Amino acid sequence: MDFWHVYLPIAGMHFNVLLLLLIGFTVGVCGGFFGIGGAWIVTPALNIFGFPMPYAIGTDLAHMGGKSIVSTIRHGKFGNVDVRLGVAMIIGTTSGMELGARLVMRLERMGLAESVIRKLYIAFLGLIGTYVLYDYLSYRRRQRRTAAVDAATAGPPSETFAQRLQRIKIPPMIHFKASGFTCSAWLPILVGLVTGIVASVLGVGGGFIRMPSLIYLIGCPTLVAVGTDLFEVMITGAYGAFTYAVKGRVELIAAVWMLLGAAVGAQMGTVAVKYIRGYSIRLLFSITIYIACASVIMKQLDMTKASSILILTAGIAISSVIIGILVRGALQERAARKEM
Amino acid sequence: MSHTGGRLSEFDRLITAVRRAAWAISLSLLATAGDALAAGGKPATKLVNVADTRNLSGLVKWIADVYNANLWLYAVVVVVSMALLGLVLGTLFDRAMGMLGIHLGRLEHHE
Repeated sequence: MDFWHVYLPIAGMHFNVLLLLLIGFTVGVCGGFFGIGGAWIVTPALNIFGFPMPYAIGTDLAHMGGKSIVSTIRHGKFGNVDVRLGVAMIIGTTSGMELGARLVMRLERMGLAESVIRKLYIAFLGLIGTYVLYDYLSYRRRQRRTAAVDAATAGPPSETFAQRLQRIKIPPMIHFKASGFTCSAWLPILVGLVTGIVASVLGVGGGFIRMPSLIYLIGCPTLVAVGTDLFEVMITGAYGAFTYAVKGRVELIAAVWMLLGAAVGAQMGTVAVKYIRGYSIRLLFSITIYIACASVIMKQLDMTKASSILILTAGIAISSVIIGILVRGALQERAARKEM
Repeated sequence: MSHTGGRLSEFDRLITAVRRAAWAISLSLLATAGDALAAGGKPATKLVNVADTRNLSGLVKWIADVYNANLWLYAVVVVVSMALLGLVLGTLFDRAMGMLGIHLGRLEHHE
């Protein structure tokens, strides 16, 4: 089996190429489908197979930039990327990340960083997962009710929280074409700032927080939230890769192999969104968040290895479901075309 | 009513797919967990700050040399190579996906 091992000169170790391709592929599928970077899968997965942690983070960030380009190209062609919104979010996110880093340093000086951050992370993941699941269940209840009563007597749908925020008129007002609404430029900048602070304090990339924020605070359609978040991941991933590489913590050979797997996975995950409704993406997303939350709880209980195995297993399982959706949808579409 | 029936069946299919995938993955992991963990090799015991280039050749040696000589240049190489590779692979696989005969134009945003 030595044939499949490559020497990674910067990490100073041999590593199995098939594992790198598999990890890349898995995170590519999930990332393209949910619009997240996927560091929560890659970092523990590399680490459990012997990759030193600082190299695992840096190498993940490097391949993340390349993989997000693959997904962003496809999502862009689907009309799912709102570049204006992405740029406004990036302005807020980068400022927020800087503020968050300072907050972490203050917590460190107070000796609270480790315990506070992990507990916050668990609470945050639990909260987001529960809200997304609640929203999905409410949607299904509404659908059933609308089907049961006459559409004329059902009345118009109630205004969402995001729509109320969009009505706040603080100049400059900007029209976000792909998202289909006009709002103050300050809304995405402020949401980006808050999500940036939270991501920085929690020490994560932020896709988990940004994607639902784009839906519930800014009011994007689910697919635009996915595509726009990937646009942002592309920029922040490149920046993160640069800073880690300057510190000598990126294993480029491993990143290239992972990117080869991730590029195939990202393409498949992105095309799969075509065959599923936005709310079904939200349901799968909430399940994914609960799994990530469970893994952090396991880490808190010093079950680090079991936590990494859970994450890798869950990543493979979720990407299998996504590929199943893609294959079934593509076969149905081709069959429908032949009948025409 | 049939409209709601369609949504319900989509949900049921999703749940069935989740259940099948969970079973398949659990069984395959039980069968291969030991081999998979061994495949990663022994855990690295120390961080190598200087890359050992003695047995390297070609592109890998060049990358390791750049890493040893100038980390700023190495960072530029990392970002540029990942961006270029992402662009090339993205375009390539995008074309490959188009050859499967599925529509890859703009999507309607259904919630």
